[in-house]
Amino acid sequence: MIEVKELKKSFGALEVLKGVTFGVDKGEVVVVLGPSGSGKSTVLRCLNLLEDYEGGEIRIDGAVIGYRTNANGQRVACHEAEKAKLREQVGMVFQSFNLFPHRTALDNVMMGPLRVRGAARKEARTLALELLGKVGLADKADEYPIRLSGGQQQRVAIARSLAMQPKVMLFDEVTSALDPELVGEVLRVIRQLAQEGMTMVIVTHEIPFARDVSDRVLFVDGGVIVEQGPPSKVIADPSSDRLKLFLRRYQGDYLVA
Amino acid sequence: MLNTLLANLPYLLKGAVVTLWLSLIVVTFGTLLGVIVGLCANVGGRLVQALVTTYVFVLRGIPVLVVMLLGYYAFPALGFRANAYLAVGVAQVIYIGAFVAEIVRSAVLSVPAGQIAAAKSLGMLRIGILRHVVLPQAARIAVPPLLNNSLTAIKQTSYVSVVGAWELTYAAREIVERTLAAFQIFLGVMAIYFLICYPLSLLARWCEKRLLVAH
Repeated sequence: MIEVKELKKSFGALEVLKGVTFGVDKGEVVVVLGPSGSGKSTVLRCLNLLEDYEGGEIRIDGAVIGYRTNANGQRVACHEAEKAKLREQVGMVFQSFNLFPHRTALDNVMMGPLRVRGAARKEARTLALELLGKVGLADKADEYPIRLSGGQQQRVAIARSLAMQPKVMLFDEVTSALDPELVGEVLRVIRQLAQEGMTMVIVTHEIPFARDVSDRVLFVDGGVIVEQGPPSKVIADPSSDRLKLFLRRYQGDYLVA
Repeated sequence: MLNTLLANLPYLLKGAVVTLWLSLIVVTFGTLLGVIVGLCANVGGRLVQALVTTYVFVLRGIPVLVVMLLGYYAFPALGFRANAYLAVGVAQVIYIGAFVAEIVRSAVLSVPAGQIAAAKSLGMLRIGILRHVVLPQAARIAVPPLLNNSLTAIKQTSYVSVVGAWELTYAAREIVERTLAAFQIFLGVMAIYFLICYPLSLLARWCEKRLLVAH
């Protein structure tokens, strides 16, 4: 469903992605691990065109996204409207939740269907209530985000993305900003989505979660994929030294740099 | 003790009415101008932004009195006849507009980038993002400083007396010239300006509490 070939991206002089290649099948859950600055969030942001990319190509359902070749054979960026169309199919949940603070939880979830797909208010409301129920927050529908805990806000954020009925869901370190006790409720929702067959790319530091839920793990470091494979191999028995060092923290050695 | 003040109070109050009218016009049109200019700076390209920056920097670098004097003498210099009120009214609107533009521009910029990223991720287009996500939040951020700015505008209307436009301060100086009871007259003027401005200060505080609750 997703094919990434030799993805290259620089921020000014800094080359963050140096040729990333991987694919995601329909219904697959891919977890991306890596140290800070490795480019894992950038990969995610390229997948839904929040970032442009300079080299390589990303295909979703066979079609290249973000760029096209014009009549002269030159690589030309797509218009914002085309990018927006793609983003209707690729949902994203952020580390800092990014709920709209001036709207209730219900209004937040309704925002996509109502304002992007032009659904009728009643229909949008029904869908939104259903999704809030699915993430366990039906009783918080009329609360404003400021009254919700971090875990609740993040679950509303997931419901908000799901309201657009995307083909793919992207999760960018969605539990990194949460109190440890609130992490579980969010992971539970994500795991349920995985069991329902949603195609997902998840950037996370939750290693046990990654091991249980993912079909494949990618380890990104220095802008390239250093290792990839099933979690039983990559996490339990890493081959590369970099990955071994990275995982040491999760085996009790919390002082490792 | 305050006899002279009390005797001349009706005249002062007539002046206060003119001040109120002037304030209303300057604040309304100045805010309107500033909002349009500020938003243009936010959505416009580099040329528009450069023009707005010039406008704001120039007017923030000149005292309002000088702007008004310039405005007053600009009309005859360019060959127009205009009454004092119009000339200085226009000058003050342009002056206030610069400050409002800056308030609006920075309010829009202070909406967190994550909000825009989230809206984009839902497939929203630029107009929709502005309308449903950015402007509602920017407006809440901008209202308290805009109210404070309006307070400044109201007090600045007293400067028009310098070019002979009659309002509260001018009326007060006329009375002082006639009666020489300067201190009590200006005490009275102070009280009147305060009474005009105080409700607005309270409104600004209330708005601060109410509007920023969601943040």
